[in-house]
Amino acid sequence: MDPLQEPPREPTGPGPAGRTWGKAYGADLLARLYESSLEPGYAAAAERRRRSGPEPPWQRRLGRTGTAVVLLVFGLLVAVAYRHAVAAEPDAHRTHDKLVGEVKSQRTTTDTMQRRADELRAEVARDRDRALSLAGSDELSRLHALEAATSLTKVAGPGMTVTLSDAPAQQDPVTGKASSENLGRVLDLDIQYVVNELWRDGAEAVAVDGQRLGATSTIRTAGEAILVDFRPVTSPYKISVVGPGSMRSRFDSSAVGARYRDFAKRYHMGFGTQDADELTLPAAPEQPLRYARPETSPSPSPSRSGGGR
Amino acid sequence: MIALIALVVGVVAGLVLEPSVPAGLQAYLPIAVVAALDAVTGGVRAWLRKEFNDKQFVISFVSNVLVAALIVFLGDKLGVGAQLSTGVVVVLSMRIFANVAAIRQTVFKA
Repeated sequence: MDPLQEPPREPTGPGPAGRTWGKAYGADLLARLYESSLEPGYAAAAERRRRSGPEPPWQRRLGRTGTAVVLLVFGLLVAVAYRHAVAAEPDAHRTHDKLVGEVKSQRTTTDTMQRRADELRAEVARDRDRALSLAGSDELSRLHALEAATSLTKVAGPGMTVTLSDAPAQQDPVTGKASSENLGRVLDLDIQYVVNELWRDGAEAVAVDGQRLGATSTIRTAGEAILVDFRPVTSPYKISVVGPGSMRSRFDSSAVGARYRDFAKRYHMGFGTQDADELTLPAAPEQPLRYARPETSPSPSPSRSGGGR
Repeated sequence: MIALIALVVGVVAGLVLEPSVPAGLQAYLPIAVVAALDAVTGGVRAWLRKEFNDKQFVISFVSNVLVAALIVFLGDKLGVGAQLSTGVVVVLSMRIFANVAAIRQTVFKA
């Protein structure tokens, strides 16, 4: 307890023992390893045999058997270790594969559920159409027009397609490895610009990689992927648009069109526009309104629902 | 001769039968192989010097594997498993190197 009581350490510390250690395993450790026999037992056994003659035959046979068994075990060990090293992928790999599988299966589930929802929606629409046509009103055609405009139904018509794709990964001229920085990669912003320009040029229906855009659709990035309404889309991004025939020339002469032609030249981003005679765009997934609710006014006119106050 | 046949039989059995290793022992497999390799190269070296001894070989093999596994086991329990494994591998590979160098000297005289 008392620090004064502590015995002096100086004399007992690096004494003769320390010096012996330094001598035995110091600089000549490697030399010793190479020169001395590592298993002095072999030399000792040989010496013993030289002095007292060969062992009795039973002992020799036992020894042979032991050596054979040990070598068999050794072979087994090496083979098993080899198999393990080859078969067992690194854990990270396995986890990654598992996650990928999970994502795939979940995506399949989502797809089937989406299909089922589409079927049910079509059924509902059919039933509703029948009911409305029985009523014999022109409400039906008005409803269809509204639905098409709000991207709730499949639409078809003439238009154009815009294709955007990532530039091939640039290779580092020294290492030959793909450079991590690719200026020609298509970002969510690029798709947003193009889509917004298309709306401005008179587009009536737009789909990105088969994902129809509705009023509340989102195009955004999550990590490396671009999500349209939370569904991943991949390069090349094909934007299909239904709209007037003048749309393509207007798009091509717009600032956005010029910018992407420039990007294609400068960063090797893939960019192109084509006319399309007949395009069919699917319905957009229904986005339930969480906060907005329809104002239920008796007046059929959509405006002036607040009355004359 | 018998020894070589036993070795080949062992390798073939390991590849064909695909024995499963308990999960707890899998971490010791690489260390055991390195330790066993040390004993085997030591045996070959002695054999080339006409000093080979079966008893010595069996004992060195078994004790090498057990001691290496024990050190790693202890390291795992003390929380320095990775460092001790590295230490064991370094020491054993130095010995393997020395043994192989001696074998090389005996065989090629160089």
